Amino acid sequence: MADKVENQIPGLFDRAYGLFALVKTLPDDMSDAEVEGLFHVLPGDLRSTLASILHRRHRRAGMHFLKMIATWLEEAMGARQRGQKLLLGTFNYLPEFIHAFRGAVLLTSEVVTTLGVVSLEGQGERYWDYAMGLGIPDFLCSANTIALGSVLTGSDIIPDGIVQTAPGACDANSKIHEFVAREYGIPQFFIEKPNYADRRGREQYQRNFEACVKQLEDFIGEKLDEERLREVLESANRCTELYYELWDLRKLVPCPVPNIFSLFTFATRFTMWGREEGVRLLSTMVDTVKEIMEKGDYVAEERARTIWTYLPYFFDFSGFYNWLEEQGIVYMTDVLMACFPNIIDTTDMDSMLRGLAESAWNMPMTRQMGGDSMMVRWLDDIVFCVNDLGANAAIYCGHHSCKQTWSVVAAVRNEIQKRAGVPTLCLQGDSWIRRMTPISVLQEEISSFVDNVVARKPRGARRKAE
Amino acid sequence: MEDLMGYAGDIFNPYLQEWKDDGGRIVGYACVATPREFLDAAGILPYRIRALGNPDKELADAYLARFNCSFCRACLQLGLDGSYDFLDGLVETNGCDHLRGMFENWQYVKQLDFFHYLHVPHLMTEEALEFFAEELELYREAISGYFDADVSDASLREMMQRNNRVRGKMRELFSLREKKHPGLTGTEALAALLLESSLPPAIFEEYLDGLLAVNRDREVSGYRARLLLAGSASDELGLVKEIEDVGGLVVTDALCYGTRAFWALPELEGDPIHAMAEAYLKNLYCARMFDDYPNRLAFVMDAALRAEVDGAVLVYNKFCDLHGVENVSLRKDLEKEGIPVLVLEKEYGAGADIGRIRTRVQAFLERIGG
Repeated sequence: MADKVENQIPGLFDRAYGLFALVKTLPDDMSDAEVEGLFHVLPGDLRSTLASILHRRHRRAGMHFLKMIATWLEEAMGARQRGQKLLLGTFNYLPEFIHAFRGAVLLTSEVVTTLGVVSLEGQGERYWDYAMGLGIPDFLCSANTIALGSVLTGSDIIPDGIVQTAPGACDANSKIHEFVAREYGIPQFFIEKPNYADRRGREQYQRNFEACVKQLEDFIGEKLDEERLREVLESANRCTELYYELWDLRKLVPCPVPNIFSLFTFATRFTMWGREEGVRLLSTMVDTVKEIMEKGDYVAEERARTIWTYLPYFFDFSGFYNWLEEQGIVYMTDVLMACFPNIIDTTDMDSMLRGLAESAWNMPMTRQMGGDSMMVRWLDDIVFCVNDLGANAAIYCGHHSCKQTWSVVAAVRNEIQKRAGVPTLCLQGDSWIRRMTPISVLQEEISSFVDNVVARKPRGARRKAE
Repeated sequence: MEDLMGYAGDIFNPYLQEWKDDGGRIVGYACVATPREFLDAAGILPYRIRALGNPDKELADAYLARFNCSFCRACLQLGLDGSYDFLDGLVETNGCDHLRGMFENWQYVKQLDFFHYLHVPHLMTEEALEFFAEELELYREAISGYFDADVSDASLREMMQRNNRVRGKMRELFSLREKKHPGLTGTEALAALLLESSLPPAIFEEYLDGLLAVNRDREVSGYRARLLLAGSASDELGLVKEIEDVGGLVVTDALCYGTRAFWALPELEGDPIHAMAEAYLKNLYCARMFDDYPNRLAFVMDAALRAEVDGAVLVYNKFCDLHGVENVSLRKDLEKEGIPVLVLEKEYGAGADIGRIRTRVQAFLERIGG
């Protein structure tokens, strides 16, 4: 199917790479006037995205974020030339594991989709439409189907292998990756998670993880090197420390952490965790938050502290993260951030592999939807976030393809109210496709919820009476 | 013997009532990956959850969402409205995201005393097989523990033997459809399958023997084309009947409410737990499995070739990710082999949609010259 459209539709990855390559030429400290000047030459969607990422409060962190992503894309683009295997993965796959191989580079389909959506003229719609044209159902997940729709056109970068941890945690995600693997005859490498959190489940998972290490070693043609793995994991551990430092800063009232830092955090988790670029970005974020606290540089009076119970919306950064901030609505965390990374013991190969398997177990979605009960694991994490961060509201974005969360959200909403004492707003929309529910409609619903339900109640979570 | 065919369209029937009146227990399951032999060996009647085209979903929709498969919503509806109150427990499997949601909500509301989660691996590897065997051991412990029943290896073997015999007869019955002059319609075959998992085994086997005797020399006539039906879980007698009423005789299938439920026969030699782990996992032929598409395609192709079909209808319920994607590949591969394909996305039990389905099937039959 791909040969028919070759060269007719430029690929999403290629186009996004072209744009992000330019970012590397920009200085780290751009003045307001320089940013303003840059905006004048950018198309609308990209201008809106950069306005959010390069907001004056956190511009240096924003620039580090852009450069980190540019490096990530550049490495994928040049993988073949360097004789490396290009692996396409799902967002719940451990990037630090792949960074430990000299001969492989990981590209994460959801991140590629997001980059295309927020930077390209027409967002990701043409690739989504192309996939629909092949007969792919319209209820599949846009997070994967946009990037993979582009791969299916045949005019985009084609991976050498697919690494998957989605089976058992998301059907939509795992099936579209399998479809692409089938279309191009690409091998897939799975780490299946048993739906048990007990010792037996964890031991089985450890075995599955180690089996995958061997399969990848064979495929890449390189044995995992202990020293290199240690080096990567020491960086990953530094990322973990910074992650928790940022987490603790979120607890402060008013919250000094810019809303978009949640995106920066999980984007790092899915791309450059275990790399110097990731450490640099997270350190800059911590420094930025401290500067905001010192200067008292808050955008608006805090009216609502919200836990986003699954995903945010990605198709309009300004209309989402910045708008929330302007309304005094704090975006405290979401499930993508709720991966609770662990410090890995780097003593020897065994301890490092055990630590990696533990991290993989806790990657977002794997941890919650891949649990023995989707409802219970997910709910426990939300309730923890509400209590730990002092949230007073929860919002479910209702990404239409998340059937696993949709299937238990009603009960979870009831239980959040009972256990954490906060109300949940259930929205409906597609997180990556603006034409499903426009941002203006979502903003209106969020406003109504905050004005009528959250802001009228006393600050702080109401606990269920003992 | 009484003609039991009429009970295929009922959730509950007098034989279940009699079973209950005699102190018998009934446990529900939904997925063909659930080995029924363990329940059989414990003297419990395994009952395959079904919705039989039930269009109502208002209670279920308070828990599952509109973005969930309407089959699971219809089943949950019956679970919540009391239709399934005769069940003494449930066995959950991780068939798909929707099915897990259905079971979790069912249990959330009903709080059944016996609720066992049987984890079925998504990969067919040696490690997965070993894990599944352990799962079956835990399943055995759960059943024997809760119901105070002895599920010994010997009783398991006995049940495997019996069920293999019944499976063999089911294969024979379903093969009658595949003959040059079919002896059975698709609607009748589906009805037999529904009875198989909703009647006491002895009653069903006796009835099955009768069905075989009656239909061996029968010839169904008046159809325009021979069709294969494949795709997502489909227990809708009404849907198959609609297809057949416009002239498309369903002469074979690759459905889990169809041949996939019984085509494979577990090996009777050796350790029964491992034999069943292997039989159930290796022969699942379900889109929920990964890295196994060639086997699934081969299963569909074998059925199509055996039955010499004129075309294939691939159905899936709206929001079924597994079969929605799988059908794209199947369509391509079947068409490559010269088998015309109709992909039919539908809502489960939606009477209002039946006109559209009829029109599409009619158009398909005209396209393939039926």
